[in-house]
Amino acid sequence: MSAAWLIARHDLRRMAVSVWPWALAAATLALLAYYFLLSLDGFLQLAPKLAGHADAPGVTDLVAVPVLRTLANLFLLLIPLLGMRAIAGERRAHSLVLLLGAGIGDAPIVLGKWLALWLYALALIALALAMPLSLAAGTTLDVGKLAAAGLGLALQAGALAALAVYASSLSDQPAFAAAIAVALNLLLTVIDAGARLQGVGNGLINYLALPTHLEPFFRGIVASVDALYFALLALLALGLATRRLGALRSLG
Amino acid sequence: MTEPAAAPPLLQLHDVSRALAGRAVLRALALELHRGEVLGLLGVNGAGKSTSLRVIAGVLAPDSGSVRLDGTDLYDAPERARRGIGYLPERAPLHAELSVSEYLGFCARLRGLDRAAARTAVAREIARCDLGEVQRRLVGQLSKGFQQRVGLAQALLHAPALVVLDEPASGLDPVQAVRMRELVRGLREQQGVILSTHQLAEAQAACDRVAILHGGRLCHIGAPDADLEARFLRIAAGAAEAA
Repeated sequence: MSAAWLIARHDLRRMAVSVWPWALAAATLALLAYYFLLSLDGFLQLAPKLAGHADAPGVTDLVAVPVLRTLANLFLLLIPLLGMRAIAGERRAHSLVLLLGAGIGDAPIVLGKWLALWLYALALIALALAMPLSLAAGTTLDVGKLAAAGLGLALQAGALAALAVYASSLSDQPAFAAAIAVALNLLLTVIDAGARLQGVGNGLINYLALPTHLEPFFRGIVASVDALYFALLALLALGLATRRLGALRSLG
Repeated sequence: MTEPAAAPPLLQLHDVSRALAGRAVLRALALELHRGEVLGLLGVNGAGKSTSLRVIAGVLAPDSGSVRLDGTDLYDAPERARRGIGYLPERAPLHAELSVSEYLGFCARLRGLDRAAARTAVAREIARCDLGEVQRRLVGQLSKGFQQRVGLAQALLHAPALVVLDEPASGLDPVQAVRMRELVRGLREQQGVILSTHQLAEAQAACDRVAILHGGRLCHIGAPDADLEARFLRIAAGAAEAA
């Protein structure tokens, strides 16, 4: 078994016996369920009016995608809160030395931490998807669009998890690490707001923004350029976190 | 008739220097340790004991000099070399939310043991460190003495050639301290042990040789004889005067 996978499994086990990840998951799912029921109620009231239009949006657009979009927004806060302890918590508890002294290199440590966080987020995505999928019993869903949205969410979660691990490597205070990660996430979310106000939609600044690459997935469009953005963001953050871990070894 | 060649040292520090936050913590430190030997690092607070051990354990790179384990430079092949080292830092690196056996199982797998070997190693160290009665309890709920023993067990799981112990008896009651000392003495049958302490009695009872550090420099190394206390106090007094 690779060291990264071993660390990921171990971290998932630690999450499973800790209150914090369960509390965050419960709060997130409760919020999503509430929003799902509100959206469903709204859709049921709107459905008779939409029935006459040939290209009217369906339940996927009006119920399922908004729920997943809400989860994408919650991830901006949730993943930093969950990932803040990845490395900062180990440093604070003086247990990072266990990993640093194990003879496994810095990259597997970072990968393992990231993988655990990502798998947790994937589980939340699966649970969030189960809500709209439950409607399949009574209506027809656009499964392709749902799959695209799920893929977009998974990619976004992967990138945010990597940013959270990087932020966690910058401090031995988990709360400070979470604040850094939230700030990075918000920056990436609004970085092109000014440009958009000026009517610029295809500049480099737009490319850097998270929503530019997430929204196509919610419209059912899976483009390699968007997937590549998330992959590059994750790789960059994981690379920086690995370097930071090496620096911690050198700096003491 | 030719004399048999002396066994090469298990651990060799050559001119190791290290600064932390702009202050020289280790200055041209040179040490050797052989298999079957317990070497104690003795010194007042801030003498450089813990930093020396962190460098030896491979978790803190030296600014200059070399650390050789079995002839291989620790920082040339760090990952392979670290597998030959078991390290118990001053604060045991524990995962409080897991049970003792679960935590040790993870540590064993982390050191590259397969599932079956890890199970055997965990059982062996639980027995050696007297953890049988607490093996199903959460690490975070154990007393300081048991936590220290769990920390020692994690350092021994992979049967390392070199065991590095930073203040292993720190915070233990006298009975636990004696038990820890016996454990350490038992280790030297198969391994080399280097430990730090600021307790003369512990150094005299547990170590074959003692190195006195002051200001990051090696001031004395030798057997823990009757003069050790006087020598240590002289060095410490010199330090106080210099300060």
